[in-house]
Amino acid sequence: MDADIIIRLKNVNFFYGENQALTNINMNFRKNKVTALIGPSGCGKSTLLRLLNRMNELIDATRVEGDIIFEDKNIYAPDVDPVEIRRKIGMVFQKPNPFPKTIYNNISYGPKLTGVPVDDMNALVEQSLKQAVLWDEVKDILNKSAMNLSGGQQQRLCIARALAMKPDILLMDEPTSALDPISTAKIEELIEELKKNYTIIIVTHNMQQAARISDETAFFYLGNLIEYSKTEKIFTKPDVKQTEDYITGRFG
Amino acid sequence: MNRKTKEIFIKYIFFLFALVAIIVLAMIVFSLFREGMPIFKQVSVKDFLFGMEWYPTFDPPYFGIFPLIVGSFIVTIFATLIAVPLGVLAAIYISEIAPRSIKEVLKSVIELLAGLPSVVLGFFGMVVIAPVLQNVFDLPTGLNIVNASMILALMAIPTISSISEDALYAVPQEFKEASYALGATKFETIAKVIFPAALSGVTTAVMLGMARAIGETMVVLMVAGGAAAIPESIFDSVRPMPASIAAEMGETPYRSLHYHALFATGMVLFFLTLTFNLIADYVSNKFKQTGSATL
Repeated sequence: MDADIIIRLKNVNFFYGENQALTNINMNFRKNKVTALIGPSGCGKSTLLRLLNRMNELIDATRVEGDIIFEDKNIYAPDVDPVEIRRKIGMVFQKPNPFPKTIYNNISYGPKLTGVPVDDMNALVEQSLKQAVLWDEVKDILNKSAMNLSGGQQQRLCIARALAMKPDILLMDEPTSALDPISTAKIEELIEELKKNYTIIIVTHNMQQAARISDETAFFYLGNLIEYSKTEKIFTKPDVKQTEDYITGRFG
Repeated sequence: MNRKTKEIFIKYIFFLFALVAIIVLAMIVFSLFREGMPIFKQVSVKDFLFGMEWYPTFDPPYFGIFPLIVGSFIVTIFATLIAVPLGVLAAIYISEIAPRSIKEVLKSVIELLAGLPSVVLGFFGMVVIAPVLQNVFDLPTGLNIVNASMILALMAIPTISSISEDALYAVPQEFKEASYALGATKFETIAKVIFPAALSGVTTAVMLGMARAIGETMVVLMVAGGAAAIPESIFDSVRPMPASIAAEMGETPYRSLHYHALFATGMVLFFLTLTFNLIADYVSNKFKQTGSATL
C-alpha cells in the first residue's frame, strides 16, 4: 500500500435512479497533491467529486456501489456518519455561497457545530482568513454581512470557511467558473499555496487551469475514467486518443 | 387602429383597472372618516380611546372604547401565541422535512382550513369548544378569551403557514449545501441557516396573520362573549372592536352619536391593520437584498 494515497476508489458505480452516472471507477488520490478532474459536461466528474464527501445522498433515489476508502474505511459503510466525513473532507462550490451572516459568523459556523469548544475562535477566524488570503481585505469588516463582498472575495471566504474545519481534503467544484480573470488568478495562487497542507481535488472546465495548477489529471468521458496520469503527461503525450481529442479541443 | 395606438390603448385600459382598486379604497377611507369624525365634536380623542366605559345607549351615553381595544389586542395576542408556533413549525415540516406525498396532503388540508367560512369556525367554537371549556373549568360561560383566541388561531394558521413556507422555500439550495458540506445535520441546517435566512418572510407571515386575526369579525362576535369590560382573567368575556361594530350597527339610528362612534371604532381598526401591514412590508423589504448581517 502506498503511504501517500489518501482516498482510493474501488469499482465505484453510481446511479441517479435508473441512470448510471459513473461506471466502474478505480482511482487513487494522492496526498498533498492537486488532482484535476476534467471532461465534457455530463461526464460524471462533479458526481465523482460529490461522492467523496457523501453530498450526493442529499439527492433522492441515488445509489452507490463499490468502495471509497478513506482512513482505512469505506466511507459508505453503514456505520459511518456522513457528518463526520464532511467535517474531514471540505467542499467549495461552483457558485460562491456564503451564508447571509457576518463574515466572522460564516467562518465560525462550522467549528461551532463540532461541539468541541474552540479556545480562541478569533484566532481561528483570523488564521482561516489569512490562509485564504482574505484577511487584509476584511479584517475591519468582520461584522459586516458576507453578502456585501465581491464574487471573488465571497469565494475566498467560502474557502476560508472550509479551511476553518481543518479538513484533510478540500474538494472544489469548478470554483472559478463564476469569477472574473483576476479573481480566478487569485484563487489559483491560493490553491498553489494550500496544497502544502491539504489534498485538493478540483473539477474544472478550464483546461488551462488544470494544466496550470494540478499535479495529476483525470479525464472522464460518459461516466468512465478514460485516463489518469501526471498532468504533464496528459497534456503533452496522452496515451488515449479520446484524451488527446478533448485536450486539443476536437470535442467537448 | 395601428399597432402603436393599440399598444397605448391596452396600456391605459390596464391602468384604469389598476386604478379602480385605489379609487374604491380611497372612497371607503373617505366615508369611514366622514362618518367617524363627528363623534370627536362631542367626545375628545383621549376620552374616546382611553375611556373605560362603553355604554353607548345610556343617558348620558359613554363612548370609551378602551375595553374594546383591550379585547381586540388580547384575543389577537393569544391567537398569535398559539398560531405562530403551529404555523411556523408546520411550514418548516412541509418545506424541509416532509416526504413529497405527506407534503401535498398537508398543504391541501391547510389550504382547506383557510377556505372555511369564518361563521363555520365560529359555530364550531360556540357548540363544541364553549361547552367543553365551561364544564372543564367550571365557568359561567365558555364564550371567552380562550375560546376566541383558539378559533382566531385556527384562522391565522393558514396565513402564517403558507407565507412562511414560501419564505423557507425561497432559501437558495446553495446555502443548504454549504451547511451540509461543513458537517451540519439536517436539524442544524434548518435552525441555523434556513430559518434565519427566511426570518424576514416568516416575520411578514406573522404580521399578516395578526392583521387577519385583529380584523376578523364573525368569530369574535360569536365566541368572545361580548362583555365590554377590561378582562381580569383569560376566562373572561371580551368585546373586540369588530364584534362591537357588527353587533351594534344594526340598532343605531342613522347619524346618531352612537353611529358616529362605531365608525370611529372602525377608523381605529383601520389604523391598526394598516400598521400591521406596514410593519410586514418594512420587514420583508429591509432584509431582502443583503441578507441579515446580525443573525
